[in-house]
Amino acid sequence: MSPLTYILGWPLLGAALVALTPRNYRFVIRTVALFTTLVSMLLAVKMFVQFQTGIATPQFVQKVPWVESLGISYYVGVDGLNVGLVLMGAIVAFAATCMSWEIKTREKEFYFLLLTMISGILGAFASLDIFFLYFFHELALIPTFIMIGVWGRGEEKNYATFQITLYLTIGALLALVGLIVLYIQSGAQTFDMLELTRHIQANPLSVNAQNLIFPFLLFGFGILVSLWPFHTWAPLGYGSAPTPTAMLHAGVLKKFGLYGLLRLAFPLLPDAAHGWLNIIAILCLGNILYVGLVAIRQKQLHMLIGNSSVAHMGFIFLGLASLNLVGVTGAVVIMVAHGFLAALSFGLGGYLFQATGTFEMKEWGGLMKKMPFIGAAFVMAAMAGCGLPGFANFVGEVMVFFAAWKTFPVATIFALWGGLVIGAVYMLRAVRAVAHGPLPGKWAELTDAGLWRKVPFIILLGSLIIFGCVPRLLTDKIRPNAEEIVKMATRTAAPKIEPVTVGLGK
Amino acid sequence: MFGNPETLAWLILFLPLLSAVGITLFTQRQPKVSALISIGAVALSFVLSCALFASLPLDKGLHEIAFQWLSVGNLEVSIGARLDGLSLMMLLVVTGVGGIIHVYSYGYMHDDASFSRFFASMSLFTFSMLGIVLANNFLQMFVFWELVGVSSYLLIGFWYERASAADACKKAFITNRLGDFGFLLGIIMVWAAAGSLNFAQLEQRFASSPEVMGAMATVAGLLVFCGAMGKSAQFPLHVWLPDAMEGPTPVSALIHAATMVAAGVYMLCRVFFMLNAPALEIISWIGGFTALLAALIAVQQDDIKRILAYSTLSQLGYMIMAVGLGGPTAAMYHLSTHAFFKALLFLGAGSIIHALHHEQDIWKMGGLKEKMPVTFWTFILGTLALAGVPPLSGFFSKDEILAAAYHHNLFLFALAVIVAVLTTFYMFRLVFVALLGKARSQAVAHAHESPGVMKFPLLILAVPTVLAGFWSIDGLFNRQFGAETSAHASNWISQIFAPFNHAPAAALAGIGAVIFGFSLALTCYQNAESDPLPKKLGFLARAMRNRFYFDELYAGLIRITQEFLASIADFLDRWIVAGLLVRGTHGTTDIAGRALRLVQTGNLQTYAFLFAAGVALVLLIVLGK
Repeated sequence: MSPLTYILGWPLLGAALVALTPRNYRFVIRTVALFTTLVSMLLAVKMFVQFQTGIATPQFVQKVPWVESLGISYYVGVDGLNVGLVLMGAIVAFAATCMSWEIKTREKEFYFLLLTMISGILGAFASLDIFFLYFFHELALIPTFIMIGVWGRGEEKNYATFQITLYLTIGALLALVGLIVLYIQSGAQTFDMLELTRHIQANPLSVNAQNLIFPFLLFGFGILVSLWPFHTWAPLGYGSAPTPTAMLHAGVLKKFGLYGLLRLAFPLLPDAAHGWLNIIAILCLGNILYVGLVAIRQKQLHMLIGNSSVAHMGFIFLGLASLNLVGVTGAVVIMVAHGFLAALSFGLGGYLFQATGTFEMKEWGGLMKKMPFIGAAFVMAAMAGCGLPGFANFVGEVMVFFAAWKTFPVATIFALWGGLVIGAVYMLRAVRAVAHGPLPGKWAELTDAGLWRKVPFIILLGSLIIFGCVPRLLTDKIRPNAEEIVKMATRTAAPKIEPVTVGLGK
Repeated sequence: MFGNPETLAWLILFLPLLSAVGITLFTQRQPKVSALISIGAVALSFVLSCALFASLPLDKGLHEIAFQWLSVGNLEVSIGARLDGLSLMMLLVVTGVGGIIHVYSYGYMHDDASFSRFFASMSLFTFSMLGIVLANNFLQMFVFWELVGVSSYLLIGFWYERASAADACKKAFITNRLGDFGFLLGIIMVWAAAGSLNFAQLEQRFASSPEVMGAMATVAGLLVFCGAMGKSAQFPLHVWLPDAMEGPTPVSALIHAATMVAAGVYMLCRVFFMLNAPALEIISWIGGFTALLAALIAVQQDDIKRILAYSTLSQLGYMIMAVGLGGPTAAMYHLSTHAFFKALLFLGAGSIIHALHHEQDIWKMGGLKEKMPVTFWTFILGTLALAGVPPLSGFFSKDEILAAAYHHNLFLFALAVIVAVLTTFYMFRLVFVALLGKARSQAVAHAHESPGVMKFPLLILAVPTVLAGFWSIDGLFNRQFGAETSAHASNWISQIFAPFNHAPAAALAGIGAVIFGFSLALTCYQNAESDPLPKKLGFLARAMRNRFYFDELYAGLIRITQEFLASIADFLDRWIVAGLLVRGTHGTTDIAGRALRLVQTGNLQTYAFLFAAGVALVLLIVLGK
């Protein structure tokens, strides 16, 4: 059996065990959850270390046919595109489980849903079969809604639940329609991604069919990633979600849309994709500039973090739209880096909320004095968020900037402004309001996190720093597959047109 | 093992990083140990830098070592060390002056609760600065450039619980980011056009085909200069430096006198090959303007550290102007000597502030000559060197800049001489008011000389302040960048007179400026009770005192641009996108739900019909193309 089956199986086993445990055995429930996610994380680390760089074929594969007539099989494996995501997902999953101490009511149900969600997330990124890709995604998505609705916080909880459910369901539905049409149109009779890819490479889809399918995938997956202007569900939804849920969704599950675009939409529908590149480049500026500016105005920390997380998606879209090796590799690096970062910032925000009972930044100030560790971690998260070298986000962002310059010079200038200046403004504003300045008297009793509470933050910070200082751990693995994707996505049937820079020309 | 230049260079670079990490992780609670680790690391780096300097034959081209950090497609980035005269001299300045300041800090910070954090940040800063100095490619320089930015953020905001310090560090970081925005854009342009980030390869490419950048040459050069504008605090990004004086005084000496602010000048010299004539012209004007502006502001400041801060700005303007006019030699020469005497002045100011229990207003000092003789006399030496009195080091380096201006641009030459007058004037204003005369406050009565650990750094720094003019530092840079000045004199007596032989007008103008400035200060401030200038100059003095209202102007600009846009975006997001559209959809869905409820008849046949119709519709769409 593939280690991937264990990686996604352990949390599922944990969910089953939690379901069987009586609800007042809280210690047992928590231990089961922590243990299974820890094992899953260690296995993911081992797999990442053993992963062979330099080859594009998937590794650690396992294929079990399921519905042969339709070509559906349980098929897992990792290549350069998803090995980092699976690792990141497993690490964030463990950190989120650690952060679940804040849940005090109906713990049994919560941990059951959490472990199911984790298993779904890891399954979605490990699957090489489109059916299971989608199935696992839904398996992770539905618990998200329930968790926000039941354990969420804040006055707008119900509206937030409603909004996030509506948006994400529509997004997932659009993507599903696109995928089904793609399946039918290809005529390959298989949900196996690799085979489908081979088949379509040999018999490309007609341009009309591509033009029909691509918008479904772009906007379906785009909504899942909070592509501007379909982004308003994200800040509010994350702000209202319990901390572990926000960490998992913003960090990991959200990347599913990008992963789908990268893995399926761009390489399988190259002709249609080309017509949309300029539009993607414009929309991503909506994320980077517009949402960045919105973040500047936020008065509550969770809204600021939520908006900043939406803004960061813009860099990934820009990298994908530049459609060259450096840009695509950079986009995948940001996907991984942002996962760690989003989990870290939402975790810290949640910790501060638990300690003080508020998200209003003006209520805080000088918390560094009482909480040196949390304060320092907060400063580091803010620095990583505004693209400081040494953290993994910088590597990805700088690659995207270099890559996008030749195709979208004007968009690159704006993106640089958004990344270097706007990002710094709202991040430092948050640090100034939260950690620096005089300490209000009412927080004189606050204490710093104990050793166990520090664990998730240390793990996440460590991951950001390791990949930030030794980026080749990621880039060398991504490169062969990114090369393949770029080759497929730029091999158009129509006469090759350089992406015209409508409205963005030199 | 240690004879190998490769090992030496890596050790020099990574020792301070090890110290920063070690202190952060292990010795937070043992302040003395932390200080020893940090001081030891930078001292060892200095010793190794000396060894490296001695062992490398500098006239035989450059040595370059590197390992690959990132390699994807045509983007190749290494972390390396480029060893040539420029970087080796800078290594010595950074580790030498930096080391002395580390020792001094041990005394200055001794009763601070976060002693360990201070030394960890100092080590981090030293590491970042050495990374800039050794960088062999553009992106490495940018990486360490940003790290310098963040470590200065940590040091300026060291006393973060003070609102003023917390605001100052934020302002410094964001202002620097504005410059870095241009810098990175410039780097990307160079990479896109010339296909490399490595300095040596770029230099070759620019030499073999000067038109490689095409029409973008000037723009790219100026964008890269934006980075220097931020770090070296040139107009219009100069506003952060005076506020940065909120940090502890040793930090001001290290970052805002000797090293960080010099990084901009250093970087321009490093990439001098890519700057074309129009870009250099603009650079020299910005430098000259900054020099004048800052000198004028310095004349009316009352805070001892702010006077020195504006003086630093003004001297940096000199160096930037020199790069624009004559090339790197004069600029780097002045950078080196300035690092010595400005660090001395800052540490002297720190010694005074320390003795007066954190009093920084010069009108509350006075009469320190007898109380603090060592501080007094070394401060006088620093002042003389800064004013450019022969034969102190500042005279020679400033003279090279004046000579360069004299040869290339007479208007800037006149401007530079005016700045020299102002420099002497505000420095002797400081000396007459703060050091001489009678005691102006109670605090002075209890003042006494600082302890040895703070005194000896002053004495050590006084040596190069006096003598650095005879060490032919400029000769070292001349060898690398080609001689702008004539061949160097052989013995020290002829060295004193070399400036007068080479460009007598410049040398005489420099000395004239000193004499004129000194006599002005003497008439205005000898035994003065209060500042006579506001009455004499009226509005001009008020504008100078208020820094020509740049901070207010920028605050207004930010309000009407960024804040305005942000509030529009926020409004749209809150009321249009989230409000109308989404809540509107909510309403529509509600109506649709009511409508669809009519379809839910419970009748199986109706369902079957609707299902079949749906399938037919999908098939029609899919197949009927």
